[in-house]
Amino acid sequence: MKLVHNIGYFLREVANIINMNLLSNLLSVLGTGLILFLLGLVITGWNISSKVVETLQKEAEISAYFNETVTYNKAEEMIEYINSIDGVENARLVSETEAFSRMQDILGEEAKILELFDENPFEAYTEVRINLEEMDFVLNQISIMEGISYVRDNKAVLEQVQRLTRGLNMISYLVMIAVGITTLVIISHLIRQSIYNNKDQINTLRLLGAPDSFIGFPFLLSGILLTLTGGILATIFIVFLINMGYNQLTGALPFIPLPNRGTLLLKLSVLLPAISIFLGVLGSIFGLYKER
Amino acid sequence: MISAKGVSLRYKDGTLALKDVTMEIKPGELVFLTGPSGSGKTSFLKLLMGMEYPTTGTLTVIGQLITKEEVKNIRKLRKSIGPIYQEFKLIDGRTSLDNVMMGMRFLDIPSKKIKKIAEEAIERVHLEQKKNTLVENLSWGQSQRVAIARAVARKPALILADEPTGNLDYENAINILQLLYSFVDSNTAVIITTHATHLIQNVPHATCIEVEEGKLRIIKGEARVDETRT
Repeated sequence: MKLVHNIGYFLREVANIINMNLLSNLLSVLGTGLILFLLGLVITGWNISSKVVETLQKEAEISAYFNETVTYNKAEEMIEYINSIDGVENARLVSETEAFSRMQDILGEEAKILELFDENPFEAYTEVRINLEEMDFVLNQISIMEGISYVRDNKAVLEQVQRLTRGLNMISYLVMIAVGITTLVIISHLIRQSIYNNKDQINTLRLLGAPDSFIGFPFLLSGILLTLTGGILATIFIVFLINMGYNQLTGALPFIPLPNRGTLLLKLSVLLPAISIFLGVLGSIFGLYKER
Repeated sequence: MISAKGVSLRYKDGTLALKDVTMEIKPGELVFLTGPSGSGKTSFLKLLMGMEYPTTGTLTVIGQLITKEEVKNIRKLRKSIGPIYQEFKLIDGRTSLDNVMMGMRFLDIPSKKIKKIAEEAIERVHLEQKKNTLVENLSWGQSQRVAIARAVARKPALILADEPTGNLDYENAINILQLLYSFVDSNTAVIITTHATHLIQNVPHATCIEVEEGKLRIIKGEARVDETRT
């Protein structure tokens, strides 16, 4: 194939095309890099929020309180049944003592107030971990069980988390679309400008019978090279920022469930250059198509 | 090789550049198109290159019909033509050798041979010493030679040279013309436009066609021009 045999020629042409407007091309690389950096930030935010939501979803739980008539054995039977309901991850009995101890932990120094009670004021209950998607069904199933007096859920909080996640997803999609369009406009404009600057050469090659693929390939390569350089710059910045952020967050806010750092960095290191190549190809094709 | 039947060319501004041209040129012919500036010589070459299309009539070049609808095939046809432009159309920022090689890279020539063929073409136009010189640093005559080397290295069936002797002194003009004659063989036709008729009077086996106000008239030689139509 001629394209492969001429690769040395094409690379020299790419160097010529880029050198012809070096400053403009460098600024475009920086611009593309910053836009892709923004995309990297959004992807990172998306990953972290997804992890938080995933953790919350895994830890979503409801509490079911028994009637006073329910005996310990009956409670065990009921828990066995609850465990068999679809959408229940795990159900276990929390005894009065454990409930008291938990409240002491929650109150901390204020736990002294519990000493005012002659008896343990807390009752035993069932702690049920559920799949958030099945929350309504599970709540309904447990509420209608005989021996259950009250079911406490944190539905409002969980629904808010779900809404927040949907909002974040929406923002991420919008940013990705904006990044895509902006990069396409920058690159297609650059390619058109390069084609204009090289119009005499292109015209000569056409008169010599060169096919459009031969003429256009160096422009396609230069578009890819420019966006890829921007993508690599963005990746370097984002890797640096994530490393710095993780070191700060894991020390100061240990309770925030962060995604695995290595996986996140690998994902971004593959994704950003891949997106930049894709946008480079698309932008160059638009530029070439418009200048045909 | 070239067959024109009743070909006319009228530009968009209404100028009639060629009028009812009927002619035939065979492989191995050397044809001079002479005439004053603006007579239609370059317009005829542009038609042969597929840079313009006949307004009326039928034009076939190396078996390819020259019409707007055939634009894709005309691009392929150009691979078989070695054009030498009046203004050379060399690519700045590249050496003489690069320019010659650039004209061959998309042809069916094995990549490994391209450099060798280009060097041979440069030797043939006596520019070995300048093969690594950027073309913008060459003289007019040297640039003309690079353009010729680029055209002939492609081993074309048809060489079209537009005013190759323009701006050259007598000696250099004769050298360039002799060089171009040397490329005529049984498979290659060479068509040269020039208004310097004194340079071509004694060229043997050449056909001279005078172009005047878009009409073609044969002065001497073997090419067939239907003058009764003009």
